[in-house]
Amino acid sequence: METMTSRERVLKLFKGEPTDRPVCFSGMGNATTEGLNKLGYKFAHVHLDAQQMAETAVTTPQLFGFDSCVLPFDLCVEAEAIGAQINTYPNSDDLLYPTIKEKVIHNEEEMEITIPEDLVTRGRIPLVKEAIGIARKTIGETVAIGSYLLGPFTLAGQIMELNDLLKLSFKKPDKVGKLLADLTCVIVAVAKEYEAAGVDYLTVREMGATSDVLSPRVFKSLILPHLKNIFEQLRVPSVLHICGKTNNIIVPMVESGATAISVDQKNDVVDTRKKLGDDALIFGNYDPYNVLVSGNPELVKETMRKCLEDGVSAVWPGCDIWPTVPPENFKAMMETMNG
Amino acid sequence: MATEERTQEILEKLKNAVIEYDEDAAKEGAQEALDEGVKPNDAIFDGLVSGMQEVGKLFEAEEYFVPELLMCADALYAGLDILKPHVEQLDLGVKGSVVIGTVEGDVHDIGKNIVKMMFDVAGFNVYDLGRDVPLDQFVEEQLKTDSELVCLSAMMTTTMVGMQKVIEDLKKKNPDVKIMIGGAPVSGDIAEKWGADGYADDATNALADAINMVSSLKKMKEEAEAREKQK
Repeated sequence: METMTSRERVLKLFKGEPTDRPVCFSGMGNATTEGLNKLGYKFAHVHLDAQQMAETAVTTPQLFGFDSCVLPFDLCVEAEAIGAQINTYPNSDDLLYPTIKEKVIHNEEEMEITIPEDLVTRGRIPLVKEAIGIARKTIGETVAIGSYLLGPFTLAGQIMELNDLLKLSFKKPDKVGKLLADLTCVIVAVAKEYEAAGVDYLTVREMGATSDVLSPRVFKSLILPHLKNIFEQLRVPSVLHICGKTNNIIVPMVESGATAISVDQKNDVVDTRKKLGDDALIFGNYDPYNVLVSGNPELVKETMRKCLEDGVSAVWPGCDIWPTVPPENFKAMMETMNG
Repeated sequence: MATEERTQEILEKLKNAVIEYDEDAAKEGAQEALDEGVKPNDAIFDGLVSGMQEVGKLFEAEEYFVPELLMCADALYAGLDILKPHVEQLDLGVKGSVVIGTVEGDVHDIGKNIVKMMFDVAGFNVYDLGRDVPLDQFVEEQLKTDSELVCLSAMMTTTMVGMQKVIEDLKKKNPDVKIMIGGAPVSGDIAEKWGADGYADDATNALADAINMVSSLKKMKEEAEAREKQK
């Protein structure tokens, strides 16, 4: 029996209090084709219109009983405000997420960036804020509203060539450190705006720092101090998400000071739970494509049960939910939460 | 001609230059190889590629990560650029040309570049379409160049699905073409379901696969040379 609203459930979870059933939500994008079709909106356009963004975001809890509503849907908002140009693929019929078309930094010499004074009024930051407000008006206090930001290293990879960033992390760690410090200010400034707009929680996505790419040593020395700085300044509950191999950076992830950590299907959650103890909030860790989209309802249920048995604190995807998720799979996921 | 001992010294220098990501040493070693009469093919395979094989091991052992790998690749290219114009084409029994790129919607190309490097080393004609490549372009380029192999890369779950369409189109127009897919979200299941001939799900596997490929070329090179000698 459900005795709590989704929002109560999520807020209690973050406080470490018991909930009426396991929480099933996300801090990353979860627009669905089902929702888009109901509204008659084109995916390429919902990123550019606050009303459409909000309406699309609320369809996921409305249609499926998902415990959260998350917006925006792409990973370019902060980079765009700093000055990068984005491509939304307006003419493509495929589902494509916006990408960065023109970087801000083109070579090592350009790494000393000036953060625009009016940063939070630039790009789509006002649009996302407006969309958060509209979403809140639409669903009221019943569903938790979340938003996300990129971590400093991942954001650096959006505004300069990842190739260069990775090499310079070795060759010129001081220069990279300075850039990450500047980007930390950007992230905090944007986070404050989202908090003012009324989000219940924020996720920081530091995908670029996965141990698939970067050594735990570099993660700790170069990136962790900035993450700590960010989480110290957030008021709402926070989640640190890193995908890929994370078992060997799980302890520093917690040391970042985020309220919860989020890992994907490559993480061995049994081991993580053992390392972190009973009280740590661990969100994860199903494969949002191979299970939720291309699996069948049986596989979905089996996977969700496995996540819970392994010891996640909330069932949560390893990445954005791919829009074409079949409704029966989404429903199967939510059914598992009720036993 | 360099003595056997000196040859070994030069090969060792090239190998270590790659492992220690020392571009200058790689250039120097390559120039010494040319000046002192070490066969360019030996310098590439027994020097640079041997170094990359070691790098592959260090990567698997999680001593090296992607930044190191990229720097090692830079050192390899520094040597390769000098040696390549002097390579005598050996008949290895494979004729290679490959179309490679990252699919539309994805701007990540590190994995693709690592795989490309090995094709460059192996002497393939590489048609690199870059990143964020519209899907039709893979099919067009394959037809235009009559390449035997097409490599598709996607780093994000959100762009991987585009590969399915390319595979279908390619197989329809040219059933003989071999297709490799790669990228973090890719799995053996997906490769099979979509009809790809091979896959690599992370940089380790991409590198391991690429090294395996070049290692077998290295073996073929030795066999080809042995045959030459017998004649």
